[in-house]
Amino acid sequence: MLREKGFNTFVIVGGLTAWRKAGEPLESVPQNDLVKLPTFS
Amino acid sequence: MTDMVKLMAGHGYVLTFSLLFAEAIGLPFPAAIALVAAGAAVASHVLWGPSILLVAVTALLMGDTVQFWLGRYMGWLLLGFLCRVSINPETCILRSAESFYKRGKITLVIAKFIPGVNTMAAPLAGSMKMRFSQFLRLDFAGATLYATTYLTVGYLARDFLAAILRGFHAAGETMEAVVVAALVAYSVYRVVQYRKNKMYRVVPRVQVEELARRLASEDSSRVLIVDVRSHGYYDSGSSRIKNSIRIEPNNLEEEIKNLSKDKDIYLYCT
Repeated sequence: MLREKGFNTFVIVGGLTAWRKAGEPLESVPQNDLVKLPTFS
Repeated sequence: MTDMVKLMAGHGYVLTFSLLFAEAIGLPFPAAIALVAAGAAVASHVLWGPSILLVAVTALLMGDTVQFWLGRYMGWLLLGFLCRVSINPETCILRSAESFYKRGKITLVIAKFIPGVNTMAAPLAGSMKMRFSQFLRLDFAGATLYATTYLTVGYLARDFLAAILRGFHAAGETMEAVVVAALVAYSVYRVVQYRKNKMYRVVPRVQVEELARRLASEDSSRVLIVDVRSHGYYDSGSSRIKNSIRIEPNNLEEEIKNLSKDKDIYLYCT
């Protein structure tokens, strides 16, 4: 769909797992982006 | 009916246990039908009622316990997997979680009667940190209610079931035609899905090393890395590619309004 809309798009082979295995830099997901779900505890 | 009774006489307890356990761990097996058949077998004095009830409840509790601990330790990954069949996996998880939080106790007792909720209830209880002792109590009540209900239906409807099975035998050829038609329809569906998915393979793929080289070059300002995991953001402490942004794939129409066409977009998921 992104390509249909004119965006030059690529897919990273292996995704996050391959990125992590290659030792490339990661960052923690920012608190604001985390979805808070209820818990019983 | 005679065939079914023979089958239940030979393997009734094992069959009932296996089917119920399989359904409890999320596999698409007809547990309710197995219970109804077992109930009919009890009415025919082939199985003993209290034993089959014990077998059924034990199988359900064991399967649900597996799901509970998978939910506890795999967090939202398992729920994401279970919600994959949903049109919108994220909404599936959020709505299930909210609904379960509001009506968690009652949900666990009646969940087995509701397709879909049945599969989600135990892992949700685990993910949402319900005490195991509380879960066991509620699940025991739910499993007992479910097994008793369908066993009773089978027990009371034995003659009616026999008539239905006689009807199936009489309509043997028609049933075969229906099964063949269903298999053909399913095959066509799979082919259509395959061709549809093939379209996605035209999107160029890049290796991690290639992207890393580009990020290290002067051209890096034209790179935008986008996380398209639809349900990877529930566990605190989860990570993502440095400087990537997230877009929700199920809300792409809105999300792309914020994207620039001046940049090359690199998508990734888990």
